This record gives sequence, C-alpha cells and structure tokens, in this order.
Amino acid sequence: MDSADLELFERSLRHATERHTGSELDAALTELGWSEALLEDRRAAVSILFELQGRANATSSAVCTLLTTTPGADAVLPALGSCTPPGELNGDRVAVRGLAVGLRGAELLVVARKGDKDVVVAVPATELTARPVEGVDPELGLAEITGTGAAVEVGPADWSASVATCQLALGHELVGASRRMLELAREHALERIQFGRPIAAFQAVRHRLAETLVAIETADAMLDGAWLDQSPQSAAMAKAVAGRGARTASRHCQQVLAGIGFTTEHPLHRYIRRVLVLDELFGSARTLTKDLGTELLRTRKLPPLLPL
Amino acid sequence: MELDEFRTSVDEWLAAHADELAPEHAGHGTMDQQMAQLNKVKRLTFDAGWGRWGWPERVGGLGGSTLLRAYLGEAVCSRSLVEPGLYSMTEFLAPTMIGYGTPELAATMVPPLLRGDETWCQGFSEPGTGSNLASLACRATRTDDGWTVTGQKVWTSLAQFSQRCVLLTRTGTPKSAHRGLTALFVDMDTPGITIRPIVAMHGTEEFCEVFFDDVLVPFDRTLGEEGQGWAVAMDLLPFERSTALWQKAAHLHLRLQELLQAAPSGALDPGRVGEVTQLLYAFRARSRATQHRMAAGERLGPETSIDKVLVASTEQAVYDLVSEGLASEVVLGDDPVSAGWRAEFLYSRAATIYGGSAEIQRNIIARRLLDLGSEA
Repeated sequence: MDSADLELFERSLRHATERHTGSELDAALTELGWSEALLEDRRAAVSILFELQGRANATSSAVCTLLTTTPGADAVLPALGSCTPPGELNGDRVAVRGLAVGLRGAELLVVARKGDKDVVVAVPATELTARPVEGVDPELGLAEITGTGAAVEVGPADWSASVATCQLALGHELVGASRRMLELAREHALERIQFGRPIAAFQAVRHRLAETLVAIETADAMLDGAWLDQSPQSAAMAKAVAGRGARTASRHCQQVLAGIGFTTEHPLHRYIRRVLVLDELFGSARTLTKDLGTELLRTRKLPPLLPL
Repeated sequence: MELDEFRTSVDEWLAAHADELAPEHAGHGTMDQQMAQLNKVKRLTFDAGWGRWGWPERVGGLGGSTLLRAYLGEAVCSRSLVEPGLYSMTEFLAPTMIGYGTPELAATMVPPLLRGDETWCQGFSEPGTGSNLASLACRATRTDDGWTVTGQKVWTSLAQFSQRCVLLTRTGTPKSAHRGLTALFVDMDTPGITIRPIVAMHGTEEFCEVFFDDVLVPFDRTLGEEGQGWAVAMDLLPFERSTALWQKAAHLHLRLQELLQAAPSGALDPGRVGEVTQLLYAFRARSRATQHRMAAGERLGPETSIDKVLVASTEQAVYDLVSEGLASEVVLGDDPVSAGWRAEFLYSRAATIYGGSAEIQRNIIARRLLDLGSEA
C-alpha cells in the first residue's frame, strides 16, 4: 500500500474500532476488506488494526484469522500462558484445550499436533465444551474450550509462523492500550489541581509518565525490529517487551490517576484488565523472557543483531 | 556507494588488515593506549577511504549516506578495535563544526579529526553548571583582537589529548540564561589554558578540569552567531544522545556474547539473561530507526532523549549481568581480561550521568514529548 492508501486504511480502521466491538467489529472489518489487506500488506494490516483495537479497548476475531489464515473462522487459541497448539490429534479424534474469542459458527478450527507435525482440523462446536469466561476482563468475550471431538483435517499448519504473527499482533494491541492509558493519565495530570497547581507540574508525576513513554517506545521499536527481522525469536521478544511495557504503563498510569483510576467510573480499569489478559496470551512477558534466557544459556549463543 | 556494497567491502578490508588494526595492548588498556589505538584505527580507515564515506565532500569526505559511517563505527566496535564511547565523540563534534563553522574553517578542521590526527573535546559542563546548562558562567568578552575567555570547565572528556575544543561561553549578562551563550572553537595550545586530568572510578583519566585565564580566541572561530550558543548545544546534544551511541549496541552484543561463554554454569539467572537480551535488541531497533531518520535528512530533536534513556539502561543492565555472571573476575581478578570487565562495569555506572543525566532526559521527555507544561 502506498502512503495515501495507508492513511485511508488507517482512518477507516480507526472509525471502525472506535465505534464497534466484538461481532460488529468483525462485520466492519469484513466490509473494509481487512483480510484482503492482510494478503496485500501483512505488516500494515496487522500493526494498524491491532494498535487501534488496543487503543479503543475493542475486540474482534482478527487474531483467529492470523492463527489459521482462514478469514472469519472460529479458531481456537492456545490455553492461557501457553504457546503450544491447542489440539492433539489421535486418529480421527482431537483433544482440545484452549481459548476462543467471540464464538459464532457451528465449527471450530483447531491446530493440532499430529505426530511431529501440526495440522489444522475442523471440529463441530457442539462436540466440545465452551465455558464463557467472565474472569478479569468480561468484555473480551473469551470462552474456555475443552473436550474431545471428531476431527476433519483441513490442511497443514505452520504453527511457529502463526504464533509469531499473533505475538506481533498482540504486541501492537498492548502498545495501543498502553498509549491510551498514557493519554488518560496525561489528561488527568494536567487537569487535576493540588497545592495550587496541576499535578503534572510535579517531577514525581512527570517522571512516571516519561517512564511510561520510554516503555511504550521501547516496545514499539522492538516490534519494528521483529517485523524487519522476521524470526520467531524476535516476535517472542517483541511480545515480551510489549507485555512488560504495558504492565509498566498500567502501574504508572493508575498511580497518576490515583483514586479515580481505581473506580469503574473512569475507563482506565478496562485497559488494565485487557492488558492482564493480553500479556498472558501466546506467552507472557515473564515466561517468554525466561524461555529465551534458558535457551541462550543452553546454546551460549546470541542471535545476530538486526542489520543496519 | 550503497550500504550493502560498503558493508561487504569494509568487512573484507577489516579481515585483510586485522593484524595491522589490532590493539597493541591487552584488555582495557590505559587511556594513552586507548587513544593511540583510536587514532590508529581512524587513520587507517581514513587512508583506505572507508572513514571518509558518509561525510560531506566539502569537509574531506566522500559523500554518501550517513548510514555508511554508522556501519563503519559498528564494524570497528564489534571487533573491539576501538572503545565505543571514545569513538562516539567525532559523531557529535564533527556535525557541529559542519553545521555552525564557516565553510573554510570546517574544510580545514574536520579532515584531521576524521583521520585521527587530531582529537577534539566538548567544553560544556562547569563546577556550578551540570544539569542546568543554561546557567554556565565561563565568560567570553569582546576585545579588539577577538574574544577573551576566562572561566572553568569540568568533566571535559579527552581534554588532555585534544588540539581543539567546542567551548560554550557566556557573552551576555550573567542573568541572560540560554539567550546569552556563544559557542567558540578554541585551539587547546592557546596561552592561558591549564588542563588537570581527573582519575575516574574506572581507573582512567578520561575527563579533566580545564581552566581558561584570559585566553584569546579569534572572532572567526565563533560557531554560529554571537548569542546562538544554545542553538549550537541543542543541535549537538541529540547526536550525542542517539546516533553517536549507535555502535554501543554492537559492542554490548559482543560483550554479552562473551559473558554467555565465560560465565560458569548456574551463575546466570535465565530470566535476567532473557530480559537483558530483549533490552539490547529493543535498543538496537530504536537506534537503527534513528540512524535511518538521520540518513533521510530528518532533524533530530528531543525524541533522542528516549534513545539516551534506552542506551543507558541497556548498558547498565548488561554490566549488572556481568557483575553477577563473572563476580570473581569483577571483584577479585587482577589479570588484564578481568580488569577489562571491571573497568567496563564501573564505567557503565556513568551511563545515566553523562550527556545529560537520566533525570534530565526524563524532564525533556515530560516537557517536550508529553507536553506537560513547566515544572513546579
């Protein structure tokens, strides 16, 4: 896409994410041709949509499209905190343990381990148990999927590539949520008067907000590097840095917003809830970081640096 | 010259001349040894042409994208041929001369700096002027023969090795703050200059006190106009805080790799190794983007304070890990390799102090990037 196309695309997506969420946002994305854009310019389609979705605290099933490359499908995400395929294929039956967002269809797509390969299988939704999750973020519309069902093999799966794309997508969503939290905290700091002046005048407050911007830009830079680098390891690093950055943003912004930021009368709590879930999907900052360190201590070899 | 071609040619040339380029000292070396090595590498790369790419032709360069000189810096630092902090000084002092010196002065002065025939220093900080740069007091007075400078500078890196100094002086009233500053380009052998090196915690005399006692500086050595000193400083500092530190990532990558190989089994915590690695790769990505912005002709500004916070936290995180993984080398080792690790660990403590402290960077981010208004 050229710069004019990108600008138009971003404007349409901004409009859609600010007004719709859940199945309505899915419908808006179909109308906008997001899946087609994904084929044309993967990086732009993913980074723009997910950052805006994070900013708007909206949800969609776009991450499912990335997981199985089937637009509009109900794909099962890995279980919380996990990066392994949610299915295990045994003959024509698949055992499933994972999560779903916004279940709509009669059929679920599941990536399943089949020996030492991964395949995409279709399972009738009625054969599995879906427990609607309230949890910390009821508005996300998650469902816990468990059980064993009849599986029809749909095609091969490139699990590690799909995980990498989903990690980048969630990294952008975390950055979008963090940027919105920073905006909310900044507005409050400029409006809230104590000791006769806006609290934004106090260095302790200013440095928390500065620290938040550094955390966000660090995550954004790492995401940029991961898109350029294209390796699964970089995508995992970017997800971890974005998750850690979003937790930093949550902590500082909630402290600056103080009392009002701890109520349900202010939107901040929605972002803090969302960040807690997003950080745990496709590997949390903590586990991805520990896994990376363990791997580096095993091989005693750093990956190459991103070339100039 | 395209970057890919430059990269391949530089790598081949460095490999072919490895013996000639190698330092003569083991480990960290003394300040004299490090400076001799820096100037040797600059001379050899300049004479071979590599050190001239990415600099304008009017100052002895061969033109081409600034990415070319960034690659050279990375290549020599990742091979431990030069110390990245010392190498960085050309990256912010030469652009200042190119931007604010007269064309004749820049054409005469920059080539010897690029070739390592000369060393330049930066006279900004004073005993009473650290974070509050606009409060500086070193006075330049107009006389018939030129400026007469009287005052004192401190933390002036490499002053004892320098032939020239980019000096920030007060030409306005004592209360004129940032409006009354003027930048001068001073020959360090001018009568009236006294230099006293200071031994820093990492054991080397990297910086100095510099005393100016009626030092005569010709008017044609004024950088920019009288009263434009603040603008000179504000244009220099973004380079000092970002592009000049690009090669740090390559150096830290090398040292982290060496740490991974040298640390005894069980000495390093996996979570910490992972986090430090992520920080290094994120810093690299940010720094790369800044290099590309400079190459595209963008003017660098307050957003480089984010680069500076990132490079300082990364450097300290890497060496914190060094002090954990190689504790006995850092604490007890007296061989050159251990002394090198220790000196770098100790030097990394200054990363949040020099070039504008971590607090000043956060103040800039709050004021200029987040637009939070003025401080209480």
